Amino acid sequence: MERLLQYIFDGLSFGAIYALLALGLVVVFRGTGHLNFAQGEMAMFCTFIIWQINDWGVPLILAVVIGMVFGFLLGAGTEATVIRSVAKKSPGGVFVVSIALFLGLNSLATMIWDRAEGYTMGSLFPNKPLDFVRVLGAEWRYKFIGVLVVALALMGLLFLLFSKTKFGLAMRSVASNPESARLVGVPSGVVLASSWGIAAAMGALSGALVGGINGQLTPSLMFSVFIYASAAATLGGLDSPGGAVIAGLSIGIGEQLVAGYIPGWIGQDLKLSVALISIFVVLLVKPSGLFGSLKVERV
Amino acid sequence: MLKIKEGSLQHWAIRIVGFALLALLVIYIPTQSETARIGQFASAFTLIIAAMSLNMVLGFTGQISLGHSAFFGIGGYTAAILIRDHGWSPGYTFYAAAVIAFVVGCLIGLPVLRIRGAYLALVTLAVAVLFPTLLRWKKLEWLTDGAKGIDSVKYDDLPVWPILGELKGRDGRAVFSYWLGLLVLVIVYLVCRGLIRSRVGRSLIAIRDNETAAAVMGVNVTRTKVLIFGISASMCALAGVLATLNSGVVTPDGQFVTLLGSIIFLLIMVVGGAGTLSGPIIGGLVYVWLDNTTRGIGTDSSGVLGFVFGWTDQSPATLILGLALIVIMLFAPTGLMGLLRKLTRRIMTIIPRDISPTQ
Amino acid sequence: MSLLKTVGLRASYGQVDVLLGIDIDVSEGEMVVVLGANGAGKTTTMRAVSGTIARSGSVVFDGQEIVSQSAESIVRLGVAHVPQGRGTFSELTVEENLRIGAYIRKDSIESDIARWYETFPRLEERQNQRAGSLSGGEQQMLAIARALMSRPRLLLCDEPSLGLAPLVTQELFEVLKNLNEQDGLSVLLVEQNANLALKVASKVYLLETGQVVASGSAEAIAGDERIRKAYLGG
Repeated sequence: MERLLQYIFDGLSFGAIYALLALGLVVVFRGTGHLNFAQGEMAMFCTFIIWQINDWGVPLILAVVIGMVFGFLLGAGTEATVIRSVAKKSPGGVFVVSIALFLGLNSLATMIWDRAEGYTMGSLFPNKPLDFVRVLGAEWRYKFIGVLVVALALMGLLFLLFSKTKFGLAMRSVASNPESARLVGVPSGVVLASSWGIAAAMGALSGALVGGINGQLTPSLMFSVFIYASAAATLGGLDSPGGAVIAGLSIGIGEQLVAGYIPGWIGQDLKLSVALISIFVVLLVKPSGLFGSLKVERV
Repeated sequence: MLKIKEGSLQHWAIRIVGFALLALLVIYIPTQSETARIGQFASAFTLIIAAMSLNMVLGFTGQISLGHSAFFGIGGYTAAILIRDHGWSPGYTFYAAAVIAFVVGCLIGLPVLRIRGAYLALVTLAVAVLFPTLLRWKKLEWLTDGAKGIDSVKYDDLPVWPILGELKGRDGRAVFSYWLGLLVLVIVYLVCRGLIRSRVGRSLIAIRDNETAAAVMGVNVTRTKVLIFGISASMCALAGVLATLNSGVVTPDGQFVTLLGSIIFLLIMVVGGAGTLSGPIIGGLVYVWLDNTTRGIGTDSSGVLGFVFGWTDQSPATLILGLALIVIMLFAPTGLMGLLRKLTRRIMTIIPRDISPTQ
Repeated sequence: MSLLKTVGLRASYGQVDVLLGIDIDVSEGEMVVVLGANGAGKTTTMRAVSGTIARSGSVVFDGQEIVSQSAESIVRLGVAHVPQGRGTFSELTVEENLRIGAYIRKDSIESDIARWYETFPRLEERQNQRAGSLSGGEQQMLAIARALMSRPRLLLCDEPSLGLAPLVTQELFEVLKNLNEQDGLSVLLVEQNANLALKVASKVYLLETGQVVASGSAEAIAGDERIRKAYLGG
């Protein structure tokens, strides 16, 4: 029982991070119909920026905020300059550009922060050996609780932005029918750039959380997280934010359970495969994810 | 501007001169270049074949696949295992790899091709990520040798091809790889060309342009898609076999066996021009050239490059590749092939043969 | 007084010229209808006015040249466009559709929502339903109500009767007529159903292959034997 609780709790924290990055994918996909392959690498790059600012003496929490602002500008700027003009010429080209960004950002980070052994990343939350509470026999580490709380809080804010504000309504209207959105006066350019910006800012936060858990920062920080996140987004449905969150949390928990209960046969290396294979199976039954709608066509 | 009728004397003259120049170049490289250069061409041929196979799926049917690195890996491992453990002669491994990859391709394609667009991209991404972990899996170690991979794929009996003269040692190996790669490339090219011009090819393009309409017109969409996916997979496996024969090593971390491989095939196809037969050839040559030129840039560079990149110890090759790709998508979204066509159209146009019915 | 005036309005899709120089004049408070066969350029004329297609020539709205302005800014000047095929936001609820219709406004919009619910009671019944689940007629009502939420001075209405039952069409035209007569809203209407349109409109333009081939008061056009035969189906 304690073991089960422990796995579920750890799974929730990891799952929240996957959900955060997956939400970024969903925000971009819903807003613009494009798949941003560079979502993880943008997050990684922003995390290095956060590390750098923190290294210069700025408190970590402030550095994270600055990093998120940087992420927003990076995402919005990319959309406004490159993505938009490529999308006009060939919709498929945007996916290629996002692959180019994936390669370019990874390479740039390797060039700037070139210490092979990586960099030590601080955690936003207390992280000493005894920093945990015992709930029903399971160890709930402060840093995991912190991650969960922050991730869920941001998701809540995002939900409020989408459903309760005028700007959120404008974003949803552009996603639903871009031409009609222009006809009612919604500045679609600003909206599209913002969806890329918001996605990248969420990425920056998830990067900071992952870095804090790992305690270590290398340019490959976000790759496997991105794979989990894309699995979550696929599973939940690329146009369903709620689906991404549910799928992200489930994948996080499922991964812990699988690795914990059948380690001999599966092993740590293959827990990723379990996630991917389960997605495979779900998609065979529901080709647009559990909560997605079927109209999506573009890549 | 020149106007030339298709099938006229001038048109044939242009074709013959073009073909002769190409043949000269193809013979010039392995006879007059240094070994390293010949090796670069041999590896370019492998990548071109892989990109061509992807082009059949993505360029002509519009089905995205990021999973082709797995088929490349299947080819590579099939060759390595058959040669090392079962003493096969290298030549026969091509057939085995093609068949295995075809079957696997169809098995994956059958369920997967119901999925579309961005979802298909992510599912095939999963295939690409899964494949290397599968190779490393302890339960399969008896077959794949786990994480360390299979090295020392030795085959001493280079077939004696009298025309090529004596093939010995490292140089001989490079020349052999070159000709073998070229042979497979030509075959794959001809198969692609035949497929595109056949009934199947026309259904492919119909599917890409409008799947629903194609289905209404009587194209068996699922069967065509799965069949092409299988053929494409087996072509990609041929490239994998070549890579193993060239290097003698396969590992789960090998560049083209992982997701990076799929990305590179995709880039080559896009840079050359998706949906064109010759696009991957141009793309592959440009990629290998760019990769080899930029790989060396670093602290020891002088001049402008040294000034721009002097601050880092790491090679900026991938960054330059990424930037080049963005520039191409911005200014030549139809790839280099599209650019080339635009340029030749400025100089001359080929007027198609009269297609009105003759009584 | 002229509210909208186009002079030599041209537009094209790629290589194909669709509008070859259209001159249209809509006075304040007038209801003007554009008639013509499929492909005559009616929808393109509307899109050229509202700015959803690249165009050249001159479009003057309320004394201001708007031919180079974007769709987003033209709606701010008081031109609302109900596009062909309705263009509702299917994933948004009926109420959200109305709210986004008032995107350009900063003042309170609750009284407007109440007013259009009153005009279209069926929308109020379905206020929390997704727009995509509405019937064709309800969607058309929603599209018009959404356009009115921006409090326009000129309403562009592109084939509101398309695919609707005759009764529903009559209801819609009744609403348009009331808006025009009682609220003084200027309307530029594109219609296939010429007989219906001629009853509500005061002025008519007849389009053929991107050009105005005839224009005049509704009575004059309806009375012209030659035009009746050629364009209005007897």
